Amino acid sequence: MKFTKHISILFLILATSIASAQVKFEAKVSKKKLGINERLRIDFKMNQDGDNFSPPSFKDFTVVGGPNTSLSNSWSNGKRSYSKTYSYFLAPKKRGNFTIKQATIEIKGETYKTFPITVNVTAAVDRPNGPPDASDIASERMHLIAEVSKASPYLNEAITVIYKLYVAPEIGVSGWHEKDSPRYNDFWSQNIEIKGLNQQKGLYKGEEYRYVVLRKTVLYPQKIGKLKIEPLVLDITVEIPSGRADIFGRPIMTKIPKTVTAGSRTIDVKALPEQGKPSDFKGAVGDFQFNVTASKTQLDATESLQAKIEVSGKGNLKLFELPTLSTPSSLEVYEPEHSENVRTNLSGMQGRISDTYTIVPQYRGKYPIPTISFSYFDLNTESYKRITSNEIIIDVLKGPTAAVNTSANTAVNSKQLVRPNSNAFAFIKTSSNWSGIKNQPFFKSTNFWTLLLLPFLLIPLVIIFRRQRDKRDADVQGNRIRRADRLAKKYLGEAKKALGQKEAFYEALERALHNYLKAKLNIETSDFNKTKIESLLEERQVENNVVKDFISILENCELARYTPITQVTMQNDYEKAAKTISLIDKQLR
Amino acid sequence: MRAITFLLACCFSLLVFAQNDAIFEQANAMYNNGKYTSAIDKYESILKSEVHSAALYFNLGNANYKLNNIAPSIYYYEKALQLSPKDKDIANNLAFAKNMTIDAIDNVPEVGFSRIIKNIVNSFNTDTWANIAIGGVLLFVLLFLMYHFSYRTSKKRIAFIISVLSLLIGCFSVAMAFQKDRLNKKDNPAIVFAQESRVKVDPNKTSEEVFRLHEGTKVQVLDTYEDWKKIQLSDNATGWIPSKDIKLLKLF
Repeated sequence: MKFTKHISILFLILATSIASAQVKFEAKVSKKKLGINERLRIDFKMNQDGDNFSPPSFKDFTVVGGPNTSLSNSWSNGKRSYSKTYSYFLAPKKRGNFTIKQATIEIKGETYKTFPITVNVTAAVDRPNGPPDASDIASERMHLIAEVSKASPYLNEAITVIYKLYVAPEIGVSGWHEKDSPRYNDFWSQNIEIKGLNQQKGLYKGEEYRYVVLRKTVLYPQKIGKLKIEPLVLDITVEIPSGRADIFGRPIMTKIPKTVTAGSRTIDVKALPEQGKPSDFKGAVGDFQFNVTASKTQLDATESLQAKIEVSGKGNLKLFELPTLSTPSSLEVYEPEHSENVRTNLSGMQGRISDTYTIVPQYRGKYPIPTISFSYFDLNTESYKRITSNEIIIDVLKGPTAAVNTSANTAVNSKQLVRPNSNAFAFIKTSSNWSGIKNQPFFKSTNFWTLLLLPFLLIPLVIIFRRQRDKRDADVQGNRIRRADRLAKKYLGEAKKALGQKEAFYEALERALHNYLKAKLNIETSDFNKTKIESLLEERQVENNVVKDFISILENCELARYTPITQVTMQNDYEKAAKTISLIDKQLR
Repeated sequence: MRAITFLLACCFSLLVFAQNDAIFEQANAMYNNGKYTSAIDKYESILKSEVHSAALYFNLGNANYKLNNIAPSIYYYEKALQLSPKDKDIANNLAFAKNMTIDAIDNVPEVGFSRIIKNIVNSFNTDTWANIAIGGVLLFVLLFLMYHFSYRTSKKRIAFIISVLSLLIGCFSVAMAFQKDRLNKKDNPAIVFAQESRVKVDPNKTSEEVFRLHEGTKVQVLDTYEDWKKIQLSDNATGWIPSKDIKLLKLF
């Protein structure tokens, strides 16, 4: 039991010794920035006693006082706190930035050094080294604050900046004016008028203050990125109790002019999301309704009508363009009249803006005004929305019609010139003559080329044919032979085919000769005998020997049926028949 | 055999024509009763049988006009005009339909000699020129033979002069037919069907926009690249338009 007590005491001692073993040696200046006519105090403080303290050389300063040594040694709750300080009072010799170098000390055999300190010496100040005066009190007890409703809004999202002046209860304000109004670069801004300053009570950093709202501004950021709001600067006459009282016991107030500024604020403006951004988006952000209306849809030509494009709602109404009206080019449309009815309050712009187009149709007909779409970014859902208007059809009932382009040239398309006539929209055609969609063109077809070129070939052909015919007409002998051939071919064709077969040949030959006679002499088969033939042929002045030949061939035909006949005889008979026929034909009158 | 198939084909086509006449009448009745949508359906069913006529396209244009369909009405009127370019009713109603369009495009007029030639070339269509050429050549051949074989001087002289003239006419017509054919091949009009279409400098989506066209505007197609068509307006401005935004008047 006793043993543990000892151990705990030992631990305690060890711990304190560890704590005290942490040596601190540092330098501190009363101010890092001072006027040349001011003084500076530098303290070198250590938490353990040391020897051989050597201060730095204050070569840019004159040592006004010091070194003063102060020592404090205290015990609290069994813990020792010790500090020893060497202090110097310094006066700067000239303006500029100076470095006070390191001081060194030896503590328990080891050397410790301070950090060097840089001091900025500026021009002389009015009240060097004065006690905290009225203006210090004023700056401590009076604050101008800019409250921004949203630190990272979207582009074109409304934010508000409210400037409040907090004043501590014990000091008074007897007058103020704006020295520098903030300019809101890269913002569209509108001040909201404040009627009368209402004093209200509120807390500022846990202390009770009175405050007034000096200024309310609605801002629409017009650029993305970090935007700076310049501070508001006010000149205020402040009344501060001087601590003395007059003979009636009222505190005497000292009046001093004081400039206060609200710190500049930076606002981080977010870009609108690129995803799903509609092509017709023109920067409208808020909550809107969209309407396209026409004052009338049925009218006569040269009367006028108004078409109105209207956007109403809440958002940056003045900061985007309305979609334009696209109309058929044959309508006469005048420049739109723009009207705005927008109120601005703390929550942003509200109201309606509209473009009114005056349209005068010139011709009869129907004119559709196509649908117009309007897109905006909805801040509530953080998404794009699109409103599409309905198509409006303007029906022009009376008036001239647009002239008709009567030229058949389909390669030219044009808006026609005006030629007033009273043509109405034509009724459908009631009858139709059909043709196939895929009909082959005649031009460049084989038929076309044949028909075009063949006639040329015809010229030499006809000429040659004519020449041949003339030549043939001139050739008498040849003509005769040809005629015989022709006759033989005509009548003896069958016989010729049967040449070689005795029976068939002679039958055919006989029939051919009979047929020939029948054709030439107009005799019937019934009265057909050799004498009759003879007399008939002689009547027709056919030479005797020819007649005889003819008869002999006929006889041969009959004879041949019963006698053997050679091939050569058959050939002879055939030739003879052909010759005789041609002779008869020639002599026949 | 060939003759029989030809005959059969003729009979069949006659049958189809008769059927189409019936549908056409029905559709006309629907149009007159104000049922334009069903009339359009009927008319288009005729087109599906690969048969057309100027009257059919004209009626389709009318029905679409009544329904305020800008692009289809202009498209069908232009089709009708291709088949019968001199019809006054079609031109008149096309003017009505064009009133509905949004784009106003200047027309660069053709002047001087080229316009005269174009007018002459356009006075007949290709096949008519081809027929004239064949007629001229046939006449030339007949008269030339007559000249060659006739013995009387006066006859000979007249035949010669007329034959030479007809040969000249024939040659001229062939030239005109070629010219007309070339013009036809070059002439490739289309109608913008998209309500609004952005025409780009190059055939891709990221390229810069040249101008915007609206429904019903007639353009000339000059070139095709992937899903894009190069177009020219009547004021000679050119650009690339997505193929789906326009409809060609000539279907290949």
